[in-house]
Amino acid sequence: MSKLDRISIKICGESGQGINSIGEVVARALKKSGFYTFGYREYPSLIKGGYASVQIDFSDHPVNASSRETDVLVCFSRVAFHAYLPMLRTGGQVIHTVQMPQLSEEEQQLVIDKKIRIAYVGAYEIAQEIGGRSIMANSVMVGALWQLTGLVFPPLEDVVRGEFSTKPDYIEPNIKCLKKGFDSNLEGLSPLVINFPPDEKRKTDALLTGNHLVSLGAVACGVRAYFAYPMTPSSSILSYMADIYKETGMLVKQLDDEISVAQMAIGAMFMGTRALVATSGGGFDLMTESVTLSAMTETPFVCILAQRPGPATGLPTWTAASDLNLAVYSGHGEFTRLVIALSDSKSAYSVVQKAFDIAEKYQMPVIVLTEKQIAESLFQLDDMEGFFDVKRHLENDDRLKTLVSTDRFKITESGISPRWLPGQADATYVGNSDEHLTDGTLTEDAQTSLAMQSKRLRKLETLLLELPEPELIGPQNAKLTFVGWGSVKNTIDDVIAIWNEQHPKKSINFLHYEYVYPVKVEKLKELIRRKQSLVLLENNAFGQLGGLLTQQTGYLFSDKLLKFDGRPFFIEDVLNYLEGRLGD
Amino acid sequence: MSNCNCHSQSDVHFGDYFSENIYTWCTNCGNYGIAAAVKRALAAQKIAPCQTLLCFDIGCHGNGSDKIGGYRFHGLHGRVIAFACGASVANRKIKVVAFGGDGGTLGEGVGHLIAGIRGNYEVMFVFHNNLNYGLTQGQASATTKVGVKMNSSPDGVTSDPLNAMKFVLSLNPSFAARTFSGDIKHMTETFEAGLKHKGFSFIEVLQSCPTYNHMTPHEWYQERVKDVSEIKNYKSNDLSAALEIADDLEKQIAIGVLYQNLKAIPFMDRQANRVGKKTQLVDEVKNIGVSKLFDAFR
Repeated sequence: MSKLDRISIKICGESGQGINSIGEVVARALKKSGFYTFGYREYPSLIKGGYASVQIDFSDHPVNASSRETDVLVCFSRVAFHAYLPMLRTGGQVIHTVQMPQLSEEEQQLVIDKKIRIAYVGAYEIAQEIGGRSIMANSVMVGALWQLTGLVFPPLEDVVRGEFSTKPDYIEPNIKCLKKGFDSNLEGLSPLVINFPPDEKRKTDALLTGNHLVSLGAVACGVRAYFAYPMTPSSSILSYMADIYKETGMLVKQLDDEISVAQMAIGAMFMGTRALVATSGGGFDLMTESVTLSAMTETPFVCILAQRPGPATGLPTWTAASDLNLAVYSGHGEFTRLVIALSDSKSAYSVVQKAFDIAEKYQMPVIVLTEKQIAESLFQLDDMEGFFDVKRHLENDDRLKTLVSTDRFKITESGISPRWLPGQADATYVGNSDEHLTDGTLTEDAQTSLAMQSKRLRKLETLLLELPEPELIGPQNAKLTFVGWGSVKNTIDDVIAIWNEQHPKKSINFLHYEYVYPVKVEKLKELIRRKQSLVLLENNAFGQLGGLLTQQTGYLFSDKLLKFDGRPFFIEDVLNYLEGRLGD
Repeated sequence: MSNCNCHSQSDVHFGDYFSENIYTWCTNCGNYGIAAAVKRALAAQKIAPCQTLLCFDIGCHGNGSDKIGGYRFHGLHGRVIAFACGASVANRKIKVVAFGGDGGTLGEGVGHLIAGIRGNYEVMFVFHNNLNYGLTQGQASATTKVGVKMNSSPDGVTSDPLNAMKFVLSLNPSFAARTFSGDIKHMTETFEAGLKHKGFSFIEVLQSCPTYNHMTPHEWYQERVKDVSEIKNYKSNDLSAALEIADDLEKQIAIGVLYQNLKAIPFMDRQANRVGKKTQLVDEVKNIGVSKLFDAFR
C-alpha cells in the first residue's frame, strides 16, 4: 500500500448542526497553522437530519483531493457515528458527543482490527455550564480536536474570533468553550504525529470554493448580469453573487424557471452586456432550446452546467461528471458550440473569462462544465491565476458609420461575421431564429440556407485552430497514462505526487482535457502511435470523453477506471488501481 | 458604448421604419393594421429605428419581423417576453417592444407574462389576440371560445376560455390597455400611451383572423367596442373598476387604457445596487479588479 503524505480529519453530524461551518473553521485554523488544506463536503438533500460531513486533508504541499479514509473523526450524531466509523484508517481516533453509542459486533471487530480509539466529550454539558447555547458545543469539540492535533492554540482562537466578528456577543463564550474543549480529558487518545513542517507563507492563503472562484472570474471579466434558478450544486454562485452585489453593481436576479434564465441572458447579451447563467443538469435540459437560439441568431451565450448524478432528480447533493454528452449533444439541429470543463482552482477562475471571450468572438453558445466536487469543495490558494483582458470583438467606431444591414451575418471564410449592438449604428438587422439572409431577413431558399448553415458551421474549424491540445501532466514519459477531464485532474495531481515518488520506475502521467468539445486529438494520437498504456479515468458510467475521443481517433479504450456512485475519486481509488495494475 | 446619432438632426418619420420585404400575411389580416400603427406610434414618439428593439414571438405576427425597420429579434415560440425583459435591463436607452400571440403567450409562455408584469420590466408588450393558433393552421388557443370547432377540436373546444385582460389585471400590472386591429388610429394612440409608460405595458389587440376565426371579424368588434374615455366617471387608476369592465367580451367590450399605475417603479429602479447608476449594463463590460473580494477569503 502506498504511504500517504497527509493527515485527514472528518467532521460529521446531522444536516443542520453547522457541520459545514465547523469544517471551515478547522480548515482555516490548519491553514493559519501553516499547512495546505483541501476541504471536501458531503451532505444529504434535506435541511435537518441525515448525516453530513466535511473532511479536511492537510499537508505541507498542495492538497487537491481527499483520501477515502480519515485519521480523526469528530462526530456530532449517532447516525453519522455509525456511517463514518468504517472510514477510519488503522490507528484512527474518534471524538464524539454521542451518549453511549452501541457498537454492533461487526463494528466492535472493526475497532479491534484497526486499533481505533474512541473518546466521548460532554460538549453539550460543557456548553451549558458556561451558559452558552447548545450550538456552542461545536466550539468545545473544535477545541478538543485541536488538543488532539497537538498544534498551538492561538491560530485557532484567531479564526474563531474572526468567525464571530459580526456577532461580538458570541465571541467570548465561544472562546471559553474552545478552551474547555482544548483542556478536556481525551482519555485513551494520543496527539497526532504531524511529520511535516508548517510554513509561514500558508497563513495568508485564501480558502474558497470552486463556485466562489467562478463568480470572481465572472466579475473580473465584466459580467454585469447574473440570472439563475436555484439548483444544487450551482446555487452557491447565485447566493455569492447576491452577497457581493453592492460591491460589484451587477444585476443579480433569481428568475422563475431556467427557460426564463436562458432567455433573459440571451436578451441581455443581444443588447450587448455580458450575462452569465448557471444551473445543473435538469435545469440545463430546460435551457437547451435556448442554446440552439443562441447558435442560430449568433448571439453569445455562456452557461455554467454544474453536474450532479442524474437522471431525473438523481443524487442532488452528490457529485458526477456525467453531463458531458448533454453539453455536447443537447439541442436540436446542427450547430457550433464550445464545451470547456473546469477542474482545479485555477481553471475555476480563468475558464469563465475565456468562455465569454470565445462566446463573443464566435457569437455562439459556450457551456462550462463544473461538478459538485469542484463547485463546493474548499480550495486553498495564495493568489488567483489566469486573468484575461476583456475584448468585445465588436466593430470599431469608424466601421460603425459605414456598415450596412447585410454585414451582420455576412458570409465569411472563418464563419465569423461583423457584430455590432442595438443602438450603435444606423444599419439595423434581425436576429432571426428562422433561417435567414445576411441581414436576418427570413428565407427558405435552398442555396441560401446551405450557405448560411455552412458559414455558421465553419466556426467549428476556425475554433479548432485556436484551441489548445490537452495538457500532459506529470513526467512526459511514463509507464501508464490516464486520460480524463474535470475533477479527476485534482485526484490525479495528488496521486502522481504520491505514486511517482514511491515508484520512480513505474511512473504515471495524465492527459488532461480542459477543452472537451470540439476535441483536439493530436497529442492522444501520438500516445496511441507510441503504444502507450492508456487508462480512461472518468466520474461517470459511460466513459463519455472516451466516446468522443473514439469518434475522432477510432481508438477504443479497453482500460477504464470509472466511478459513478455519487462520490468523487478519492486518492485511494486510483492508488489501489495502480497497486493492482503495476504493483510488486 | 458608442451610439448612433443618425437622427440627432432630424425628426423620425413613419417612412424610417419602411422595409422592402413584402408582407406574407393573409388578405385582411389584422397584422397589417397593427404593423402600421406600431410604426406610426414609434415615429410620433420620436423613437428612431436604431434606438429601438422590436422583439417577435413565433406566430403569424412574427413573420413580420423582417418587414419593419429597427433592430429586431425573432426568437422562440412563447419566449419573447423573457427575451425582451433581458434586453431591456441591459440598455434602458433602447426602447424595447415585444409582440406575441394568444397561443405562445398564454400557452408555453404564460410564466414569462406573469414574471414580466410582476417585475415591471420596461417593455411594451403587444398581445395579438386572434383567438387561435394561426401559423399552425387554426388550432384552439387559451382564448378560443368554448364549443367552437377548430383544427384538432372537431367537436368543438371543451376547455373554458381565458379572459386575458382579467388575468393580467389580477397580477396588479402597471399598465393594461386594449385596442382592436380594425382601428389604426385607436391602436396608434394606445401604443403611444404604452411607449410613454415607464414599466411593463400590456396592450391587448383584439385581432381579426380572416382565415381561421370566422366568429369575430373586424365588423363584429367594431359594433361592440367602446373606449373607456366615453364611459362616464371611468378612472383608469382604479384596478377594481378595470377588472369589472374587462369582464365583458361579448356585448360591450372596453378598449383604451383600462388601468395605469403611474407610481409603479420600473424594474431596474427596484434594484438597490443600481439606484443612481448613470451607466447602462452594456457600458460596464470591462475588466474589474477582484483582489479585494478575494482577500476576504484569506
